[in-house]
Amino acid sequence: MSQAVEETESREIAEFRAEVRAWLAENRPPKPDFVMPQNFLFVETNEQFEYLRDWQAKVYEAGYLGLDWPAEYGGGGDTLKRQRIVTQETGRAGTPFFVNTIGLQWAGPVILKYGTEEQKKKFLKPILSAEEIWCQGFSEPGAGSDLASVQTRAEPAASGNGWTVNGHKVWTTIGTRAKWMILLARTDPDAGKYPGLSFFLMPMQVPGVEVLPLIKMTGEGGFNQVIFTDAAMPRGAMLGAPGQGWEVAMATLTFERGAAEGTGGGQATSSADTVQRAAKLASQTQRDGRPASEDPLLRDRLVQLWMQEEGLRLGGMRRRVPGLSPDRPMVLALMNKLVYSEYAQNLAELGCEILGPDAALWMGDPNAPADAEWPRAYMNSFGMTIGGGTSEIQRNILGERVLGLPKSK
Amino acid sequence: MADVPGDFGFSDDHEILRDGARRFLEERCPIEEIRRLADDPVGHDPGVWKEMAELGWAGLTIPEAHGGAGLGNLHQALLLEEMGRRLLPSPYLGGALAALAIERAGDAAQQARWLPGIASGDTLASLGWLEPEGSWEPSDVKATARREGDTWVLSGTKAHVPCGADAALVVAPFVADGEIALFAIAGGFQAEAEVSIDPTRRTARLQFDGLAVPDDTRLSGGDLATWRTILLQSAAWLAAEMVGAAEATLGLTRDYAIDRKQFERQIGSFQAVKHPLVDDMIGIELARNHVYGAAAAFDAGETEAAETGARMAKAMASDVLARAVRHGVQFHGGYGFTLDCDMHFYFKRALFCRAMLGDAVHHRRHLAATLFGDTGA
Ligand SMILES: Cc1cc2nc3c(=O)[nH]c(=O)nc-3n(C[C@H](O)[C@H](O)[C@H](O)COP(=O)(O)OP(=O)(O)OC[C@H]3O[C@@H](n4cnc5c(N)ncnc54)[C@H](O)[C@@H]3O)c2cc1C
Repeated sequence: MSQAVEETESREIAEFRAEVRAWLAENRPPKPDFVMPQNFLFVETNEQFEYLRDWQAKVYEAGYLGLDWPAEYGGGGDTLKRQRIVTQETGRAGTPFFVNTIGLQWAGPVILKYGTEEQKKKFLKPILSAEEIWCQGFSEPGAGSDLASVQTRAEPAASGNGWTVNGHKVWTTIGTRAKWMILLARTDPDAGKYPGLSFFLMPMQVPGVEVLPLIKMTGEGGFNQVIFTDAAMPRGAMLGAPGQGWEVAMATLTFERGAAEGTGGGQATSSADTVQRAAKLASQTQRDGRPASEDPLLRDRLVQLWMQEEGLRLGGMRRRVPGLSPDRPMVLALMNKLVYSEYAQNLAELGCEILGPDAALWMGDPNAPADAEWPRAYMNSFGMTIGGGTSEIQRNILGERVLGLPKSK
Repeated sequence: MADVPGDFGFSDDHEILRDGARRFLEERCPIEEIRRLADDPVGHDPGVWKEMAELGWAGLTIPEAHGGAGLGNLHQALLLEEMGRRLLPSPYLGGALAALAIERAGDAAQQARWLPGIASGDTLASLGWLEPEGSWEPSDVKATARREGDTWVLSGTKAHVPCGADAALVVAPFVADGEIALFAIAGGFQAEAEVSIDPTRRTARLQFDGLAVPDDTRLSGGDLATWRTILLQSAAWLAAEMVGAAEATLGLTRDYAIDRKQFERQIGSFQAVKHPLVDDMIGIELARNHVYGAAAAFDAGETEAAETGARMAKAMASDVLARAVRHGVQFHGGYGFTLDCDMHFYFKRALFCRAMLGDAVHHRRHLAATLFGDTGA
């Protein structure tokens, strides 16, 4: 690239960034007077949901979501680079997260990758606009880390038209709001563990689908059990080919873990828990009669997290320079979820420790600092170290796929 | 901190340098060579050093006007990483750091006087980075320079000087008129070889017993702030070498975990072995991010960000290498505990490097002051 081209491009990018920043400043929604969920896993009440859905719709209408998806499916037909700028700016502005995260970041990209023309035309635009919310039906009571052991059955319907679904899914985030589910189900019980699986785009609001809310350790809702009893799934619901379910599910997880790009955009959480915020907290919190920021041990732990945070930030940049990872091209992408979720967990826990005795106050107590956001963030952080494949499973994957170590039995 | 260029300034010639270095070092520095040189009185192969100089490495970051290759910090980091992988025993590091100091602190005449010799490989140079008290703080200098006529009289001791016994030129700080001053000293001091814990890295203790040196050996810009920057940039470079060593350590342990069987299984299939190795790999990658980030920031002239990056790089590399060698010995079992196993070379290198230019705790203490915007707790 000649220098002139490079300069115009970066000027264009800078202008775009300024435009997004200005738009966000102007259009950010007022702070609600109700408790907001800390990320998309914890959306519970109608007012939370509507507030968040309106926000996503507004951002989409302004042209800042799905920038890199093809225009014929409702996207912007633009570059991933611009979408990334929007993501950076929404993160910086601390605007609310996008409620249709499962649609934007898992279902959408996987439909783009494996979908028929008809499926793409039908599903992608309402994902971006948040008109149609998506959930994910992978886990079952007997199939968590060992996902390929799912038992939910999809059989050709007796009518000869479409499928009949029976089974039990669990931990289904945002299931009560969802119009659609990405569903991993067994279509051929005789074909063996992996080839017996197929992947579906399942309607949720049909007879035979029962969504039963579960309560999380914080007392918040957000995920559910889903019971299928002879639920009907229309023809054309399969994504990919029969028996290709495992491959499509793995592709989904790659998007989910942030290891592949092309995910409609937007951050999935809006709790901007950074080391800077924790440092500020430490400066404002007394510990044994002195600012907690003067405690050398707390300082050191915070610095260790700062090094992680900076390391992650630099890793995000280095990921885009393949020449700087010649020996392990996939490592930065594959380790991101693990490192980020553990960093966030450690930071939230340290926030609780900085609070000292006040960490013992829970939501609703008038003296709980920021309505107990740090203890709540700490509890919620386990959503990230368990969901999407536990940290232990991530370590197995990294050890086997990246380091080339033998499989654990 | 949007201070590192998005692409780290990486280009084709970085790639060419790294790949060339990897091939060259694979050939010239196999483990048998390390074993031979560990018992060699000089401790490095002068023939290899000559070849390295011919490749332009001895003057890698020295400006072309002074006979160097005029390359940047990211080049330096990538080259040092390759050297670290091979545990190359070499006067390279000391020379590179001495040249760095002369570039940062010397005036045009001083640069013209010393840099060409370092760049050609003819002058073995080194940096007097520590004194026997062992403080890593740039201001903690006890050695003195006293004015006498038109000379300076140097007194004091420098310790752990890399290749100090062979160095013909040493850059080191002395207190002159109450201020830190840097001198480039071409011999005249007593050098006594130390017994370095790291057989691949020779060091010496240098004694200055009232050594009179001419006025123009005092580097004209060598004040405390400059010395501090030199030490931090050196730390960033050493961290690059350490990341390379950690990578090689992990590679050896990984290979062994695949080869070795117990209980009818490869030991690498045990998660008690696998997961710590994954954590080492992650640590190495994060440390590498800091190493490249600091290098790119130095190259972009973002000194403040670069210094923070240098501290993060050295702090993380120190811990990560220490952990990798620890796992390295442990997961080789009884064999790992012997001199037969190559692991001990890496183990000793880790102990050495951690102890130079500030360990993890030292740098984190400074980083805390940066984070909180105070002077430290
Ligand atoms: C907040 C949240 C939201 C979620 N949302 C959804 C959703 O929308 N849709 C969906 O399908 N699922 C969802 N999940 C489910 C999630 O994917 C599973 O919880 C996860 O995969 C773990 O499965 P499990 O809970 O059955 O735990 P298990 O698999 O039973 O694991 C229990 C423990 O054993 C460990 N373990 C298991 N196998 C191994 C092994 N081979 N090696 C080492 N350790 C092992 C695990 O790491 C864990 O610590 C969500 C989970 C959470 C927490």
